[in-house]
Amino acid sequence: MLVKDTRRNRVITQVLATVLVAPFALPLVWILLISFDGQGAVANYSAVMSRTPFLRFLVNSVIISSGVIALVTVCTMLASYALAKLRLPAREAIFMSILVGLMLPAVALIIPLFQFVVRFQLFNTYLSVILPLSAVILPMTILLGRNYIMGVPDELLEAARVDGASSFGILWRVLLPLCGPIISVTVVWSFLNSWNEFLLPLLFLQDPAKQAITQVPTYFTSTYGSDVPKIFAALVLMCLPITAAYLSLQRFFERGLTAGALK
Amino acid sequence: MAGVRTRAGIRNWLTALSYVTPALILIGGISYFAVGYNVWLSTLTWDGVSEAKQVGLANYRALFADPVFGGALRNVAIFGVLTVTIQLALGLLLALVLSNPMWGRGVYKALVFVPVVLAPAAVATAFRQFLRPDGQVNQLLEGIGVTWLQPAWLADPRIALYALVGVNIFQWTGFSFLLYQSALSQVDTHSLEAAQLDGASTLGTVWHVVIPQLKGTHLTLILAGVIGSLKTFDLVFLLTGGGPGRSTEFLTTYIHKQGIVQFHVGYGATLSVVLLLLALLLTWAQAKLYRLGKDT
Repeated sequence: MLVKDTRRNRVITQVLATVLVAPFALPLVWILLISFDGQGAVANYSAVMSRTPFLRFLVNSVIISSGVIALVTVCTMLASYALAKLRLPAREAIFMSILVGLMLPAVALIIPLFQFVVRFQLFNTYLSVILPLSAVILPMTILLGRNYIMGVPDELLEAARVDGASSFGILWRVLLPLCGPIISVTVVWSFLNSWNEFLLPLLFLQDPAKQAITQVPTYFTSTYGSDVPKIFAALVLMCLPITAAYLSLQRFFERGLTAGALK
Repeated sequence: MAGVRTRAGIRNWLTALSYVTPALILIGGISYFAVGYNVWLSTLTWDGVSEAKQVGLANYRALFADPVFGGALRNVAIFGVLTVTIQLALGLLLALVLSNPMWGRGVYKALVFVPVVLAPAAVATAFRQFLRPDGQVNQLLEGIGVTWLQPAWLADPRIALYALVGVNIFQWTGFSFLLYQSALSQVDTHSLEAAQLDGASTLGTVWHVVIPQLKGTHLTLILAGVIGSLKTFDLVFLLTGGGPGRSTEFLTTYIHKQGIVQFHVGYGATLSVVLLLLALLLTWAQAKLYRLGKDT
């Protein structure tokens, strides 16, 4: 956009771009190459799948992520609707108190949460991870959801009300069908943050039958020593779902992430 | 609209309130509860098991005398300033270069962005291998003839923090790239053309016309970067664990060590309260700056 599209400029920008992108591409290539090393790709990948609880960890992460996505999406749509369109006592105060949650780093909450989980013996329950994660993700998704729903014209909702729809009926039949974009942003944001979460499962899920996929490298190193190619095969497998999701839903990921930062 | 004092009005209120209740229970019952409990715990000496002892502000006084706390603040500050500066510059440069027509642009963009969606736990594990003295990074350096630079990136206390900065930049530059890319598409093209007609060089146009127009994006990224640095845990925990020695101790890793590993619940909670206050203070200061920037 800044330089004239001449042959010489094209070569210069192409070279410059390649040099700049190489440091990002190279580690990704290394990860793949190392995972094919040692006994070879087939042996490495099948060892990870069959001789480690990798699949168990995968299923656990799917359970945790699904729980977070469902909980966050339902809470976000309900709260955003009320905060954007309904008469609610102390609406602004409620909204501000949710927004303050945006600034709380999860790490600063782990000590009380840990004491709580110890006291009520919630160790190795999926909920011990799902609930705090949802609480940390919600302020962002409610902020985005409320802004989106405020943009929906009041006339649409008013027309449904005149036709006798209840407030939940309006949400279900009028609003939700219009909320596709913001629901997808909410789902992507919750998936990204729950699938990649490391600390909460590390603290609260210590039984290997309950651990999350982000514990794979640690589990692998402590149980199977430093068989580097197999660790890297496990890394590739653990990154595959999110990379595939990103590459096929690129637009939603990018919209979700920029929306999260710009609002 | 029905009056709010009528029976129907009150029923509407209650309905609306019931819609925000699930979110409020989660945020209030977990985040706010944890903040309050943190403040209470920070006044105790407690190992989490035996009788707790009320010590008032003693933990906070201990904090100021604790060299590890000071070191952690220093490390986070160096880490934050370096990553934010380099990520902004690199992200903007990438967005500018990749805004030109070229072969394979979509692939280039995806490659820069993929690290953002990967789990920090995965990135850290990979780089633990790459940064070994005989790892891929040093092999690459040797391959291009840089035989004099073969450090033990993560084991040398003088270098480890900067190695972490490097890994963090690898992981998150795609984010600033993405934001700059969408901001660049909104830059006023007339002002660009005008500057170029006036005979300004490409660099001159970027410096005097493009960069000032992206002010909002710079500030957003600085805020996200500062808070992100303050929160960084996975990368440090898995790459260096805060070491060698205390050379890469962060507030977050120190909280984990004190409060969880060593059962110093009160002291860990005190560190958490400080982390919370820092996050609030920095957000507030930046919001203030942002408003100042808008007025002028």
